[in-house]
Amino acid sequence: MAGSMPLEMTNMSGPNGLPSFPVRAKEFSKVIQGNKTDFLLCSYDDYIFVLATQLGKMGTLLQAKKEEGYGSQTTFNVSVLLGKHDEPMLQACARQLIEHISGMGSSRPLLLSLGLRDHSKEALKNIVEAVCENKVW
Amino acid sequence: MDEPIGTGEDGACVHSQLASFSSSCTLQQPKKLHTFSREVQEGVLHFQIFKLDNQLYIWIGCNSGKLGQLYASMPTPFERIPSLATLIGGTSDSVGASIARRLALKTGWSVVLACNLPKNSPNLEAQAEMELLSELRTQGYVYKRTA
Repeated sequence: MAGSMPLEMTNMSGPNGLPSFPVRAKEFSKVIQGNKTDFLLCSYDDYIFVLATQLGKMGTLLQAKKEEGYGSQTTFNVSVLLGKHDEPMLQACARQLIEHISGMGSSRPLLLSLGLRDHSKEALKNIVEAVCENKVW
Repeated sequence: MDEPIGTGEDGACVHSQLASFSSSCTLQQPKKLHTFSREVQEGVLHFQIFKLDNQLYIWIGCNSGKLGQLYASMPTPFERIPSLATLIGGTSDSVGASIARRLALKTGWSVVLACNLPKNSPNLEAQAEMELLSELRTQGYVYKRTA
């Protein structure tokens, strides 16, 4: 077909001819309520991964999924995969985040890792804001 | 937000420096995420290594950006073999489970591994693990055991 690009040019290649890295990732740090917080955001094909740590550890791992109910009723299901099962603020954070992600048009589930010193409502709200400001989806 | 925490010498209010840094301020930070790709017979393997405090988050992908199965492996003082939990995945084929265990064993750290390798490809698994260990050695996270 006239004007079509050769395959190796349409296939966005990296410097050594390999296909470009399939996962978009963002790394940054912010001060949240006086605590330095390191963030890692990764956009996988089928998941959005968010890591926020103040302790240098992954901490509690949560999964949040959007579930389509009957008659376009959308519910969100949050589960703790590893770590603190009895910390409702962390689950609330996951729920808030998946709601925002869904609201911004992505239906991918969320994998959230929180290693925080401060579990206050303000801190978690700021974390959700910081993630949405730096979205990778 | 700008609560004074004390008074300075001349009686002026001393504000907490860190708290008055509004959260719109992003700090400059050396990158901790290391990504690389390796061409293999079956296509291309993609890797992410994120270093934390005595902990690693690792993703292995094969030809795609899918997350794959998620495992957590932790060295334990009670046994030589690190413990293993399957967080996402959970079917009987444990692609990546043994990689997670061996990484925890060789680094002495807890490892969270997301592994998107195809089932029934032991050669590919072995190759992925080899590339990963080689890179971890280069980064200084794995030490060669003396006999």
